[in-house]
Amino acid sequence: MRKIFILLIFLYGHLYALERESTLKMYHGIFSALSSKPMTSVYTTDREYRKVFTTSKRIFLAKKPEESDIILITNRSTLGSIIKRNSLNKHGQKPILFVTDYRFLKDTKDAVGAFYWRKGRSQLLFIKKRLEQHAIHLPKAYQNYMIDAL
Amino acid sequence: MRRAYFDRFIIFLMALLIVFVLFLQISTTQSTEKLKNEEIQRAEQYASKIAKLIQIRTQNSLEITLKEHPEVRRHLNETLHAFLTKQYQYIFVLQKDEKGKYRFLLDASEDEPEEYQSIFFPKSEMFDKVYAFQKMQIIEQHEGVEEVWLSLVYPILRENKTEALLVLDLSESYGEHLNNFNSPLMRVVWMMQVLLILSILLLIYLVYSYSKLRKILLFDSLTSTHTKVFLEEFFNRNEVDSYNAILIDMDEFAQINNKYGYTSGNLVIKEFTETMMNVLSLNSKVIRTAGTEFLVIVPKDDSNFETLAKKLFTTLQEKKYLLKNEVFTQSVSMSAMIIPEGNVSIHDVQRILDVKLLEIKSKGKNALGLLGLDHFNQMKYGNMDYIKEALEEERLVCIYQPIIDTKTKKIVKYEALVRLIDKENGEKFISPAHFMDVIKGTSQYIKMSKLVLKQVFTVLHQYPEIEISVNLDLDDLYNADMMKLITQKLYRNKMIANRLTFEILEHNEISDYGQVALIFQQLKTFGSKIAIDDFGSGYANYVYLIKLDVDILKIDGSLIQELLHDTERTKVMLTSIKHLAEIYQYEVVAEFVSSKEIYEIVKALEIEYVQGYYLGEPKPLEVYMGTERN
Repeated sequence: MRKIFILLIFLYGHLYALERESTLKMYHGIFSALSSKPMTSVYTTDREYRKVFTTSKRIFLAKKPEESDIILITNRSTLGSIIKRNSLNKHGQKPILFVTDYRFLKDTKDAVGAFYWRKGRSQLLFIKKRLEQHAIHLPKAYQNYMIDAL
Repeated sequence: MRRAYFDRFIIFLMALLIVFVLFLQISTTQSTEKLKNEEIQRAEQYASKIAKLIQIRTQNSLEITLKEHPEVRRHLNETLHAFLTKQYQYIFVLQKDEKGKYRFLLDASEDEPEEYQSIFFPKSEMFDKVYAFQKMQIIEQHEGVEEVWLSLVYPILRENKTEALLVLDLSESYGEHLNNFNSPLMRVVWMMQVLLILSILLLIYLVYSYSKLRKILLFDSLTSTHTKVFLEEFFNRNEVDSYNAILIDMDEFAQINNKYGYTSGNLVIKEFTETMMNVLSLNSKVIRTAGTEFLVIVPKDDSNFETLAKKLFTTLQEKKYLLKNEVFTQSVSMSAMIIPEGNVSIHDVQRILDVKLLEIKSKGKNALGLLGLDHFNQMKYGNMDYIKEALEEERLVCIYQPIIDTKTKKIVKYEALVRLIDKENGEKFISPAHFMDVIKGTSQYIKMSKLVLKQVFTVLHQYPEIEISVNLDLDDLYNADMMKLITQKLYRNKMIANRLTFEILEHNEISDYGQVALIFQQLKTFGSKIAIDDFGSGYANYVYLIKLDVDILKIDGSLIQELLHDTERTKVMLTSIKHLAEIYQYEVVAEFVSSKEIYEIVKALEIEYVQGYYLGEPKPLEVYMGTERN
């Protein structure tokens, strides 16, 4: 019985690790497409994402938004505070904003792309004009997900 | 045989169970598939209706109508929402823009419906295919898609052009519901499969255990030779007469055990068998029948059997063994036989070889005895079981030798001589020399006598003109069962009993003439005659003539044969017997008249009756009856 219990825990752990690994793999792809650096500094307030990124060797978590290359916005309050910071810091280097909701893309013109779910299907979207503002040229694999404007 | 049927039954049962489980599995899967297909067909019908509705409501152009008339858009969204039951996760309409990207036109979702013209990546190339080929497609969802089981993509056409795609996403939960529809039955199938697998595993384990056990049963652990069980099984599968056999015994092996101990003794036995195996071909089988006794089975198509037996004997005899710094040889006794063709049992072979081996051992051991086919027959016919079986099957026949009147040259009587009929060859008769001594004094002897008398009386009934004599041992007359049988038979056939003669043979001296005379009298009461067989030899002597009331004297064959060697003296003797018989009014029969020369002398001596090969061999009565008629 104990062995079965341990086995179940192990299986659950293994499945969880697999899911985390696939998420990490996807974000590695997105972030390396957005940033040319070998090590990308990412700022996010989302606990789940922070946990996932902690295990990465190519992503390190920034403590402050201004210290990061990319800011991953997963909720509206973070979006609000980031927009506010960006508006104050008009001359400095602004980090790239990447969101997890289609509506956030509409709410801020600073966000270059989003990863979200529509009708049960994962959607990856980049906006060409916003990418150009950051002088980002997406690799060929991501060209299909790029649109001129919303 | 019963075991074989049982094995087949188990295999049949397992196969039946496998077929049944497979049938259940296939039926259940097919039933689930049928349900799914029905649901897909229903979705197709819905899609067709919705598409038609959209076409009607958007008149000339879907794109323009929806763009220019938001109220139509809203109304259509509400209509689509009406179709959104628990089966359907999403219903929406997509259109490709000029850059080939899909944009939402309509969405049935009530909560957070997609904005008109918002972008959508369908995660499947099939959407493009439907757009291009204008044929509905069912897309099974894959990685990157959640909560959707199947997507039905239906083209909305106008004037042969694809205007948009209607997408009906069947929910994952509904797919699971359909999958689980037959789940109780599937559970039974799974349980049966598990049971079946367990049964197969158990069966494999049993087969493994059985094969292990069989190995123990079939192979001798010390010598790696075969056991008696193997022998039985081997000859259940193979014909005995395809092999020859050798029985080998290590002489006085107990001495080795006593001198060197059992462990050393075992080593010698092991070396002994290894030596034996080296001489024999791979097709030969060695069976350890007892501690130091081995039966070797050699295929007939192997090398010359006699040479092989001799080689084996010499090799085993010359083999040197080393134990505790002492070198010695081990003598062996061997009996070997060529097994004759036909229905022979291995037990018969073993018994014959055993008898021969005992004979060799009694004559000083350390020898090889080769048995030919005659030996085999001799031993086979002398087997009580064989005789018993023959008598049970009434494989017994009487053949008849004529007794001829020297004056008329006519047959006056026949002597009935008993023969057993060979089991394999119905035309082959077995002489009493093979079996008489074995059955004497046993119940089989009475049984045989009963059969003889039955045949003889049948013949006497069948041929009223003939007389028959039968042989009877004087010892038989002392046997109450035998006398009871004879008197019963005589009583039942009293009308013809006077045509029957009892030829009395004597092996021991009569101690009580009074009793014998009384018995003779009993037989004569029915009119039967008494003949003294082999008169002039052994105990059948002149005292009989004084003390017993007999009718016929059958002069011993050895005396008649003597006529060829010491004619004159024998003639005197025969004349004397003849003269004596005349006085006592006995009839005289000369036996063993084997040549014309003897016949002429006997005839000249005026002996009335003659019997012998010169005058007629023992043959079935029909032969003589036919001759007489001719």
